[in-house]
Amino acid sequence: MIIKRRGKLEVIADILRSIQNKGGKIKPTHLLYKSNLSHVKLKEYVNMLLQKGMIEEQQVKGRKMFFMKEQGHKFLLEFERIKEFSDSFGL
Amino acid sequence: MVFNSMPYGLPSYVFSPTWFYGFDSIIELIAIIVCMLLVYYSYKCFKITKENKYVYFSTAFLSLTFAFIVKIIGTLAIYKPAITRSALGSSIHQTFTGLTPYDINALAFMVYIFFMLLGFMILFLIISRLTWKNQRVVALLVYFVFLTTWISIIHYQLFYLTSFVLLMLITYSHYMNYRQIKSEKAKFVVIAFAILLVSQAFFVFVIYSRIIYVLAEIIQLLGFVYLLIPFMMIFKKKPKIVK
Repeated sequence: MIIKRRGKLEVIADILRSIQNKGGKIKPTHLLYKSNLSHVKLKEYVNMLLQKGMIEEQQVKGRKMFFMKEQGHKFLLEFERIKEFSDSFGL
Repeated sequence: MVFNSMPYGLPSYVFSPTWFYGFDSIIELIAIIVCMLLVYYSYKCFKITKENKYVYFSTAFLSLTFAFIVKIIGTLAIYKPAITRSALGSSIHQTFTGLTPYDINALAFMVYIFFMLLGFMILFLIISRLTWKNQRVVALLVYFVFLTTWISIIHYQLFYLTSFVLLMLITYSHYMNYRQIKSEKAKFVVIAFAILLVSQAFFVFVIYSRIIYVLAEIIQLLGFVYLLIPFMMIFKKKPKIVK
């Protein structure tokens, strides 16, 4: 079986989906194993998502948590639409 | 009706019965709107993902859009001679003094054939998973588009027959895609292309009866409406915002 490598956008969507599935907030350790990325790679992606305003970092009871922002929801919706469009039209 | 005394031997084709004049243009206008929506969204996908398949898809539907625009111009030249007497029409006429409405129709039909075939050919390339990297195959297919356009000018049936064959291959590929992903939207895409395929079969025989042209146009309209359904279904999805 050939395992296709995920593209950059697919990785971003997977990260955002992981947060969304956890009710819009997630612990960094949970995100690490849900996203299936190395610690270094995840840090790169998280920094990028923070910069783009798709997620935000907050302290909850002294522990770091990532929260999904509206921009993140919008991106995820758009990504899913593109994927559906691509699948439906056989692209 | 075929007018044979055209410049460079180009025949002018008017298949529509007089009572249907203009209605076919409205149908083509609807097809243009559907194609433009697909062009726009596919290009938007390309801007986001930078994946070439979206730009190919966009180009295919842009080619079909252009074909329909040219067909409308060509048929309106015959249907509405008043247009050629309008300010813009007369200025065009003064620039190209030798052009009669029938010449415009003949030239438009040629351009229409070319862009329709090109559009379907690109769709066939996409669904066959061919890219510009397969340069020799692409070059050969483009050559066939030119060749078919050239011969179809004289034998119009070849154009509709070629479109029929291309759409048959496209429909089959979409059917295989539907079997694989089993999605409702993919099913509508298969139905849409199957309807367009049937319309091309009707177009092959338009010379024998004008009513066949009317039926072919209506079936074509149905095909484009069906193509719009999966597209609209994708956009029905609302954002899932967790507060």
